[in-house]
This record gives sequence, C-alpha cells and structure tokens, in this order.
Amino acid sequence: MAERKLLLEHAHDPAYVTLKGYLDKGGYNGLKKALKMERQAVVDEVKASGLRGRGGAGFPTWIKWNGIEKDKKNPHYMVCNADEGEPGTFKDKQLMEQTPFTMIEGMTIGGYATQADCGYVYIRGEFVDAAKAVRKAIDEAYANGYLGKNIQGSGFDFDLYVHMGAGSYECGEESALMSSLMGERGMPRLKFPHAPLPTVAGLWDRPTIINNVETYACAPFILDKGGEWYATLGASTKNSRGTKVFSVSGHVNKPGNYEIEFGTTLGELLDLAGGMKGGALKACVPGGSSVPIINAEDCGKAVLGYEEMAEVKSMVGSGGCMFLNEHTCIVNFIWRTSLFYANESCGKCTPCREGTQWMEQILSRIVRGNGQPGDMDLLLDITKQIDGRSFCGLGDAAAWPVAAALRVFPEEFEYFIKNGRSMVSGPATDAMTPRWALAAGV
Amino acid sequence: MSELLQIGAQRPKAPRPEELTLRFSDKAVAELEALKTHYPDLKSCILPGLWIAQREYEGWLPPEAIAEVAHRLNRSYAEVEGVATFYTMYNTAHKPGKHMIEICTCLSCQLCGAYRVVDALEEKLGVKLGETTADGMFTIHEVECLDACDRAPVLQIGDEYVGPVTPDTLDAVLDKLRKTDKPSSVQLADSVVKVHLRDGDK
Ligand SMILES: Cc1cc2nc3c(=O)[nH]c(=O)nc-3n(C[C@H](O)[C@H](O)[C@H](O)COP(=O)(O)O)c2cc1C
Ligand code: SF4
Ligand code: FES
Repeated sequence: MAERKLLLEHAHDPAYVTLKGYLDKGGYNGLKKALKMERQAVVDEVKASGLRGRGGAGFPTWIKWNGIEKDKKNPHYMVCNADEGEPGTFKDKQLMEQTPFTMIEGMTIGGYATQADCGYVYIRGEFVDAAKAVRKAIDEAYANGYLGKNIQGSGFDFDLYVHMGAGSYECGEESALMSSLMGERGMPRLKFPHAPLPTVAGLWDRPTIINNVETYACAPFILDKGGEWYATLGASTKNSRGTKVFSVSGHVNKPGNYEIEFGTTLGELLDLAGGMKGGALKACVPGGSSVPIINAEDCGKAVLGYEEMAEVKSMVGSGGCMFLNEHTCIVNFIWRTSLFYANESCGKCTPCREGTQWMEQILSRIVRGNGQPGDMDLLLDITKQIDGRSFCGLGDAAAWPVAAALRVFPEEFEYFIKNGRSMVSGPATDAMTPRWALAAGV
Repeated sequence: MSELLQIGAQRPKAPRPEELTLRFSDKAVAELEALKTHYPDLKSCILPGLWIAQREYEGWLPPEAIAEVAHRLNRSYAEVEGVATFYTMYNTAHKPGKHMIEICTCLSCQLCGAYRVVDALEEKLGVKLGETTADGMFTIHEVECLDACDRAPVLQIGDEYVGPVTPDTLDAVLDKLRKTDKPSSVQLADSVVKVHLRDGDK
C-alpha cells in the first residue's frame, strides 16, 4: 500500500494555510454540513466513522462527544491537545504549521455538536512556528465569520483561544494539561471512577472535550464525505478506521511524516521513508518512546492497526516511529529512554518519581561499564513496581520500554553487564554514546 | 550525570511587598489585560503572565518578576513561584547568556549523533552543558525531544529550530548568533506572548 493522503493532501501547498486556499480545496464544507444537521446527527456521523483518538490511547472519539450533557446548564469547553511531546512524534507540528484550518474546523464542528462556548488550543511552548500559523488562521476565521458570533449565519457562537505551554512533557496528559491551562503546575488529577470524567467536570469543573490535533483534523473530512465513507478506510483491520499520520525518524533515509491507511504494514512504512540508513534493520519503536520496542523479525510481521500491533506486543501509540539499524546499542538507547522519563516525571506519585530515577541510575551504571550481576532482575522488578501503580500514564509509559527491551534483547544487557562494554560497536553506536560513557570504554 | 537531573541552584528570597517595584511596560500591562478576557479567572493567566514577565525582565524570572506577576494577578508569591519552577522554559534558576542554545539529545537525536554535537559545542565554547561563556554570549543546555525528530539532531535557539546540525555546521550557527542583537530568551518570550493575542486584542 502506498501513502493515502487525507489530512496531508495539501500540506505542502503554501496557499492551504490561508482561508482562501483552504476554501478552494473544499475547506469548511464539513462545518457547513454540520451546522445544518441536528447536534446528535453530527455525533452519530463521528460514531459511524469509527474515529479513535490519535493522541496515543485510541479512545473512540464519539463516546467523548456523546458524553457531554445534552441539556446544557453551564458553559461547555473544547480543548485541543497540541502539547505534542512524545519522543519520535512530530505530526501535530506539521498539521498545525501546514494545515491549521483542518484542526480549527474540526474543533468548531465538535463545539457545535457539544454546545461548547469556547475552545482552547494548548500548544507546547517550543512550537512557536506552529502557534504562529494557528494564530493567523484563527484571526482569519474570525474575520470571515468562521469563528466568533453567529458562525455562517447559523446562530452558533464559538470562540477559540491559543494557550502556550512552557516546557513539560507531562502536560500532554489530559488532566495535567487542564491543570496547566488553569494556571497550575502540570500535574495530573484523580481520574474516573474515583472522580468524574472531563466530559462531566473538566476545565473549571465544566463539561469538557479534549482531543488531539490529528483527531480534530479528521472531523471535517468525516462530516464532508460521511462517516460511512471514512470507515471504508482501514477496513482490513479489526477496529482501526481511517488514515493515520506516522512520524518516521531514526536511521532512515527520508525521515518525515507519512500518512497511511490503517492496515498498511510497518515494512511498507519503512519503504516510504526511504528504507534503512547505515545498516540493516535491527529494531523499531513503532509508536513513540512509550511503546515497547520490537525486533526486526516482528517488524516484518507488524500491521499498523490498534489491535494488530498488540500481536507483536507493541502499540500504535502516537505514531512516532523510530527505526534502529544493526549497529545500534539497545542498552544505550534504553538508558536514554529512561533518562527522558526520569526528567519528565512530575513527582506527584512515589512509584514513578522514585522508580524512573532508579531505572536511570541502574541503566547509566551499566552504560558506564559498572553493571552488576543482579541488575537485569532489579530493573525488571522496578518496572513491575511502577506499571499499573502510578497515578498517571507516564509511569506505565516509563516501565514498558525497559521491560520490553529486557524481554526482546536480553543478550545485549547480559553482555554489557558481564563485559563492561556494548555487544555492538561501530560508528552508529559511537555516535549515540555520551562522552562519559565512551570514556568508560563502551 | 546529565545536566538535566541536577536540581536548580539556590534562589534568592522573595521581595517584601514594600520593596516591590513594578517594571511591566504599558504594552505589557495592556497585554495582560487582554489576556484576562480569555479566561474565566485570574489564576489561568499565570502561565501567559509569566511569559510576559520573562520578556519584560530580559529573558528570565528573578524573584521580582514572579512577585510582580503575583501582584498583578492577585495570587500569592508562593503559588506563582511554584508554577514557574515546574516548567523548564521559564528561566528561574539564573539569567541565561545572551543566546541560549538548547540541544536535543533525546532518542532520535541521540541516534543521529547529538552527543557528538554536544562535544563539539562544549569544545568550541569552552563551557559545559548548563554553563554560560565568560563573555555572557552563550548558555548551552541539554533538552528533551523537541518534536522535530525528522531534523535530528536539532537545536532550539530562541523561537527557532535549527537542524539537522553536525559538528561542522556549528560555526555558521554561532557566527549568525554573534551578529543577532535580540537575546534569544527575550525573542522567544515575545513570540509566545504574541501568539496568545487575537487581532481584536491588539
Ligand atoms: C504522559 C502522557 C503524555 C501524553 N502526551 C500527549 C500528547 O503530547 N499529545 C496528545 O494528544 N495526547 C497525549 N497524551 C494522551 C492524552 O492524555 C489524551 O489521551 C489525549 O489527549 C486524548 O485525545 P484523543 O482521544 O484525541 O487521542 C498523553 C498521555 C500521557 C499519559
Ligand atoms: S506517574 Fe509520574 S508523571 Fe504521573 S503523576 Fe505519578 S509522578 Fe507524576
Ligand atoms: S529526539 Fe530530538 S527532536 Fe525528537
């Protein structure tokens, strides 16, 4: 299968970031149709499409949209999660920079369906270019009656604001994002069933919808062409519908975003990205740093779909696909993964706050050549103490990659601990090793 | 150990209310007023308020800046400081050099040789990660994934991303910065504040 471009079809057309260019290519047809429909019919269209959240968890979008109180008593909010922070993922960045209107139109459609008063686009602080494009698009939409009061004469009012983050991966977690939007430290809040869902009490305790940039960007296409049409894309998979943008990076010839239909194989995605660079395929982290690593053999079997990826014990995640060539030291790579989580843990709960630090310390001593005989068991034990016992998903996401690497590449850890140096050597491993570890004789 | 794991330096104490001198320009005050209309309460203005302060206070947030934001939003000093210190893009620990170079060493960048870029940068500038050059021109930091992994290894300098970089292309980057007048952190804060403001707010 080749690329199947829906969201990215006009991505490289500079006119597409202007309202005129967007309208020329059929932009806002979805919203115009939606505004003539009953609110519930819009939700039903999204249900028929089979759209699932593109932020990582793959939760059915219509369930959220349907969960908002229909008999409106208080203000309702829409939030767009544009805090893309997952290592390996850079799709929301491109979508905002090159196709900002799709996300804005999608939020407006969602706002109409859920009777929202206003929406916030929470963009990570580093994404200034993306934010500038979104800002320009919002201002143009206001000036032309696509945002603000009485949108396109329908009587529906909807405001949209930009809110910038300030450097925190944890703020991508939805409850932490809402804390951050409300002016707090980016720490998560108690979840359902111990607390109400955001659709009941989210932002400022009001009913709130929160979706990823890419999720919203799908809505205009679903409303324009119909949910049933959308559901024909990816029909070969069990329960994944539509297209998905995968960010491909690492040791490939043409890193970048590639939009494919669900059901495409991982091998085809690698071909799209120009194949491996610097050596044969050794491993792949298919959905962002949080998802379990798979070896070359499983890469050959992997089909991109939410259920299909579980067959190779991994996940679609946010679609940040990193390919590693044969000269890559897995121990070094996993040490760096654990450093990421140790740095980004918000510190609220003990298993994650302490556990991520311990994993990093043990892995860095292995990488320094000071690994000790019981270290693999110790690491595995820590992953079990973190996974399922943390307050939010970051803890689990920190444990999975380490546990998976120990399962898939045990011999590399054994070798490193026993010999004080990496099993693989060569330019690719040298290039990825920090100087202090090189000095220790990797 | 990674620079990122080191805990921030000791901070000076908060100014007492009678010591507070407000430094926001008229423009900054107007911006904050416009932002207040975006949210149902003042607390939600803390993050954008801190961005304004970081621009007004030359690229960092000394205790006086935090006190001013707290004062203008009617929050306590402790609350605003607690928020400011959580986020890595607010410079609360020290005033950075004129240009801040943040180098991503996270996974894709690691795979594509970011640690060799770190070595080259340290060597060229004669400082280690987290330090500022003696002439106050450059501060270098290690950061986590900037989500531009297709351009790995990537640097963030002010409101721009530069990448892919190699040890050989660094000189051109540094030369350009030496000729750039506006400090990176001020440039970044200014751009971030601007994207919050609607046409109608200006
Ligand atoms: C630690 C952590 C980080 C996350 N980061 C992001 C992110 O950067 N972007 C995103 O859209 N979702 C992120 N999520 C998922 C969100 O919590 C949430 O599931 C998502 O925004 C829902 O939108 P969707 O249903 O459209 O996917 C993260 C979750 C966790 C636990
Ligand atoms: S799991 Fe980690 S990030 Fe999540 S609440 Fe606990 S400490 Fe914070
Ligand atoms: S790993 Fe450096 S930008 Fe993603």
